[in-house]
Amino acid sequence: MSESAEMLERRIDRLRAAVREAVVAGDREGARALRSELKSAEHAWEEALARVEGSAPEAVQPGTGERPGRVTPPGPLIPLREQVHQALSLLTVPAAPRLIVTVHEAFFAESFPVARLTSLRRDEERSFRSAPFARPYYICAALAADLLAPARGLLAISTWPMEKRVIGPLSPRVHFLTAAIRVAESIERIPGPDADVRRLLWRFAANIPGATGSAAAMDPRAVAEAAQAELQVHEAADLDVRRAAAQRGRRQLDDAGQLFGSRLQVRQPGGRAARGSGTAS
Amino acid sequence: MNGTEARLARIRGGAVPRSHNARTIAALASNPGCTRRAVLDAAGADKQRLAAYAGFPAPFGQSRFALTRGNAFEAQVKADGAAELLRLLREHLRLPIPEASYDDLSEVGGNASLELRHARTRSLLARTARSASDAADVAAGSDAASPANDACTASGASPAGGDSPAADIGTMFDHPLLRLEVGGRHAYLEPDLIAFQVCGQFHVIEIKSFAVIDGRADGDKVAAAAIQSAVYVLALRDALAELGVPPAAVADETILVCPENFANRPVAVSLDVRRQLTVLRRQLSRLDRIDDLLDLLPADLTFDLGPDDQGVPRRAPADLAAAIRQIEARYAPECLGTCEMCFFCREEARGCTAAFGREARDDLGGVEQVATVLRLARATPGAGQGPGPDSDPGGDLAEAAELLRTAARLRTESLGQRPESLGAAV
Repeated sequence: MSESAEMLERRIDRLRAAVREAVVAGDREGARALRSELKSAEHAWEEALARVEGSAPEAVQPGTGERPGRVTPPGPLIPLREQVHQALSLLTVPAAPRLIVTVHEAFFAESFPVARLTSLRRDEERSFRSAPFARPYYICAALAADLLAPARGLLAISTWPMEKRVIGPLSPRVHFLTAAIRVAESIERIPGPDADVRRLLWRFAANIPGATGSAAAMDPRAVAEAAQAELQVHEAADLDVRRAAAQRGRRQLDDAGQLFGSRLQVRQPGGRAARGSGTAS
Repeated sequence: MNGTEARLARIRGGAVPRSHNARTIAALASNPGCTRRAVLDAAGADKQRLAAYAGFPAPFGQSRFALTRGNAFEAQVKADGAAELLRLLREHLRLPIPEASYDDLSEVGGNASLELRHARTRSLLARTARSASDAADVAAGSDAASPANDACTASGASPAGGDSPAADIGTMFDHPLLRLEVGGRHAYLEPDLIAFQVCGQFHVIEIKSFAVIDGRADGDKVAAAAIQSAVYVLALRDALAELGVPPAAVADETILVCPENFANRPVAVSLDVRRQLTVLRRQLSRLDRIDDLLDLLPADLTFDLGPDDQGVPRRAPADLAAAIRQIEARYAPECLGTCEMCFFCREEARGCTAAFGREARDDLGGVEQVATVLRLARATPGAGQGPGPDSDPGGDLAEAAELLRTAARLRTESLGQRPESLGAAV
């Protein structure tokens, strides 16, 4: 029994090296296939250890949705935009692609490479402009409160009210704390959280004062309470800024601008105005 | 200024200009007599490419993996509204909880032009400095009896005015763009981050990916980080001085953020850069103006590689080397660690005592050519005739020649060798 665990460990090391090489070489398909192989190998290793301990492994690990010992075929079962929507709906705040991927991996068992999200916002904008409001929701931008330009590296859902889609100076911290509370709540609903989920919680707990003493002793409720305590300090000020920005945005921007922002363009000398997705006056 | 920019653009050729950064400015300040470096850096030429094309590729340069690791660590520290960095600042500077705002200056309304970013950086810094002094005044006025510290913590915990002054003041400024005058021109500089504390000062923050293990890190790398952060402190003080803010508003201690031990967890370390600041200020003030340096060069000088339609350079390497040699350099052994042109200049300086370093050169009496040194040491007085600029040991060389001959005589006497064997031994 311990031998098979050792063999699995060696296989896991080889797979990890292979995944890294594939990522560095830019081979996305290969990296994805290798990643799912790695995940099943790690899972088999856990099972082997559990057998050694004498407790029967559970048939399906809660929170992963994978059947043990089976390699998940590469390729998502649902479209990318739907996966992003799931993750953002869990977080209820705008988030960066890396966090979206980690949340989806931890709670919905499917991973996708961060690089695929870079063009998502642009594609969604094009789809919206060609047929406005044709889809029930769009993955859109979060807007910076001062100039209502799309904030770098953040995605949001179009069905959220504008107040939730603008970013003031305190908003990054407020969003971090809110996301921590949502993640902690979701973890409480899972009977036996696995390593991915606990790692995600640690990512929040480590940076919230009073949330936890160490990674091993994390309690989701304590994390949520600590996050709520700090949130109360920033909330009011942040909400003021966001409300004012949302009012301005509704007044000055067209539909596409309210979802995808407007960029500051420099007028060329000679009167040629540069093209933009609406100008904030 | 337009004339200077045009000439620098012609020197650079068609390549995209590479901007100054703290590293190049620090290297330039430490070797102010090197015209070649001053002109190449001002023109924004890609020194690495030029050196490699002329046949002397640089012995260093950041590997792709090191760059990736550095970028990944910086992204991790700044993720989620700089969550990890905020934790470090709260522990290290005792930053109060309400001060947590984050401003991203990498773009202005989606536009990444340098002038826009610099203007916005200046306006945010001005607003911060002004709001902070207002808040401190209000707090001090409301409770005049208490000492300044109490007033500050009171204003930090419950912002006076109540209408988001904390957001107005600003705490973390990400990718700010500053300017520093170098040789009569302005160079744009981008520190990793600037942090501001209401009852404290502005702090320059440098994020590096070399590790601090058991409280110690690579001395050279820490020293380099200290000098680079000192450059940013100078630039920030200049920017604030234009707004009428005293230089004491920027802390003398910069903060270095590195991975700790063998995990990727970041740790913050203070660097005292007062000494570096004094040295840098002095060195920068002694840099020649670029205009004056350009006046000494031929008007048609260019380092353009003459790429054809596919971008393959057509210019002969020897031709490029000749063009580079038209600008005077000042090679010193320190260049091997700081400048991509080092091998080129070292080859050029072969046979000069300067290549051995300043101390050795002074020991040899300041004589410029190694051949002359040997000749002077070997020869009897008055026999130093021959071709070359230093062949006639008259005037200022006579004393040096005398000292060298004395040294040679002492050496042969102490080693018991014959004088004629001196040349072979050296």
